[in-house]
Amino acid sequence: MVSDLVVEGLTVKFNDYKALDNISFRLDSPFFTVVMGPNGAGKTTLLKSILGLVKPSLGMIRVYGLDPFREANKIRQIVSYVPQVVNINIHVPITVREVIAMGIYSKSIPPRIMNKEIEEEVEEVLRLVELERYSRKWFTELSGGERQRVLIARAMVKGAKLLLLDEPFSMLDFDIKCEIAKLLDRIHYRMNIDILLVAHELSPCIAYNPQVILLNKKVYAVGRAGEVLRLEILKRAYPGITEIPQGFIIGEDHA
Amino acid sequence: MLELLLINYVVAALSGLLVGSISVTLTTSRSITFGLTLLHSILGGNLLGVYLSSLYNLTIPIPLVSTLTAIALSIIVGELIERGLSEDMAIAFSVSIATTMTIIFGYLASQVSSLAITKAWTYIAGTSSISSIEDLAKLTLTLFIVLPIVHLLFKEFKYIAFDEDGAKALGLNIRFYRYVFYSLAALSASILSSTIGILATHVVLSVPGIIYIKFFKRYNIAFSYLIGVVIMLVGYYLASLLSISPSGGVGLTSILTVLGVTVYGRRS
Repeated sequence: MVSDLVVEGLTVKFNDYKALDNISFRLDSPFFTVVMGPNGAGKTTLLKSILGLVKPSLGMIRVYGLDPFREANKIRQIVSYVPQVVNINIHVPITVREVIAMGIYSKSIPPRIMNKEIEEEVEEVLRLVELERYSRKWFTELSGGERQRVLIARAMVKGAKLLLLDEPFSMLDFDIKCEIAKLLDRIHYRMNIDILLVAHELSPCIAYNPQVILLNKKVYAVGRAGEVLRLEILKRAYPGITEIPQGFIIGEDHA
Repeated sequence: MLELLLINYVVAALSGLLVGSISVTLTTSRSITFGLTLLHSILGGNLLGVYLSSLYNLTIPIPLVSTLTAIALSIIVGELIERGLSEDMAIAFSVSIATTMTIIFGYLASQVSSLAITKAWTYIAGTSSISSIEDLAKLTLTLFIVLPIVHLLFKEFKYIAFDEDGAKALGLNIRFYRYVFYSLAALSASILSSTIGILATHVVLSVPGIIYIKFFKRYNIAFSYLIGVVIMLVGYYLASLLSISPSGGVGLTSILTVLGVTVYGRRS
């Protein structure tokens, strides 16, 4: 049986720097998977490779049978990406509805005009992320958690099958991280959307027992959180740790 | 006399519209450094044009030469960045080329004709206080090209400035939009250099965008146009009061405006 997300012998090099080194894993739908690893582990590079934004030096990727690099247009119809909030330029004056509408506009050509139909779609997706009545607010006026929800809403409005999220918990308070994890779990189960997110910590998601890929340029483990988050396994990806850091928190329920 | 004065102020207002249309995207996309690089390229292109027209005694459209030079150097910067060179390095490289062009062609032009340097100086510091029908025609034509395209693609420019990775993931052709904007900015700056000069264009280019960002909660892009027009008109008026060139008046007005906004921003 062919898996829905296949990464086989993937190596990505930037000049002489090896960001990913011969990694392989397979995920079958429905999946809610967290890619964990230290800084510089190649987590974002992995997401960008899956999206077809970074060309593999070696190896192959198949997303629902499609090659992200050769079939980029088809991939972008079925895969949505939520970038790190720190990469967003908050000096750009843009409203919540403009941000979300871009997810819909992307299917058309300029001039991209906001019509009633698009407005209704925006309102509907805002209800799903519990941000009703926020559509005319400026993105900069929102809190960190609200901004993350808006970016998730933009990704969802495309009607994608797979949601890729880059550090969705960064710069957030712990309770907000848990709310975002709960929202993602709801999206995964109710809307049948596969989720692959990269994060430094697993604790906000632990209640949902996600699948975990332990990455540090190489894949060190793939499995359920309880199986992967063991000191002897973690030591391979995080050389130097002597005990499981508090941020990983296995088995505690923070929801 | 009244007719000449009227042409002067119409040229000022049209220049303001042109500045306002480019300034917002330039400022919001954090491309001010790039914009300044562009102006170096235009200066290099202007001197190349002056040299060629002096050498062959031809009426070469100098703004066209400078626009093409600026677009070519912008593409070099864009491609170097796409290929992994840091933005600072790519811009420094482009500035080096543009500055070398300015020095070499400035020298060569001065060897060919004694009038060439005077002509070149008008592109640096701007024309005299009298604008011509030719200036008016150039600006009108440029506005007819730039304004519709900026409005047609404004959402895309804004969105790329807001979230480049997200825009790429949505399937926007970032490279295409970037080069369209570079070309529009090059054309606008080149035409402005032939009226108010490169130095004043340097000063004025970012002002409407800065103010737009500062007060965006209350205004939209029309405000950027308005600020551009007001700065230009006040600048031209100030220049006539102080008996200096229009570019001097525009420069002074721009500096005072930015100072005023900074002081207001700190108080509020």
